[in-house]
Amino acid sequence: MPLERESATYREKLPELSKHEGRYVLIHGSDVVDTFGSYGDALRQGYRQFGLQPFLVKQIQSSELVQFITRAVEPRLQA
Amino acid sequence: MAQFTLQLDPANGPVLTIVIGVSVPRGDALMTAGQPVPNGMSARALIDTGASCSCVDPAILAKLDLTPTGTVSVHTPSTGGAAHLAEQYDVSLIVPGAGTHHVPLVIPAVPVMAANLSLQGVDALIGRDVLRDCIFIYNGSLGISRSRSESKGRST
Repeated sequence: MPLERESATYREKLPELSKHEGRYVLIHGSDVVDTFGSYGDALRQGYRQFGLQPFLVKQIQSSELVQFITRAVEPRLQA
Repeated sequence: MAQFTLQLDPANGPVLTIVIGVSVPRGDALMTAGQPVPNGMSARALIDTGASCSCVDPAILAKLDLTPTGTVSVHTPSTGGAAHLAEQYDVSLIVPGAGTHHVPLVIPAVPVMAANLSLQGVDALIGRDVLRDCIFIYNGSLGISRSRSESKGRST
């Protein structure tokens, strides 16, 4: 499953990442690389450092903000 | 400032023709790796104020050969009563201006969720994450909608 390891790392490190609430974290495998002030900065660093290898960019939220879509769409869910 | 005025689609409402491509950082990484950068794809995008995040049909994401770089917790009628974790992909969006005198809205990198939309007659939903930088006027009596972005392109 794509990003399974990175997602697990995010969940595991969230208590310590919470002090950076609202910033964007870059995670590769089990490594938290850094946090960034914008999505674009984190993404740029991810591609610069890891090229086309998998990495995760995620906004740090101690309580995950749920996105709502009122249309009956079928999102591609993480298994 | 990008500005668009469009006739409302009787079936779908405010639908724009946009170009969806790989994000600028991914394009740079592809070039560094000596791989071709896929051309942007023309897509029918519905402006959907009921979507808090933007979505793109998986067929387009597949043609751009994208892999996920994010996850998001999402609640839709199809997910039942609970939120589920969905994959996010980084793309660039270009919305052509209303005429030659209006600049296009260019977003170099924005996360979008993959969602099956083709049966609904559109390829993408422009959600409130993109609209937060825009003024959007829906004039049902005239059958038009107007959008105007507050900046030339989102700073990423």
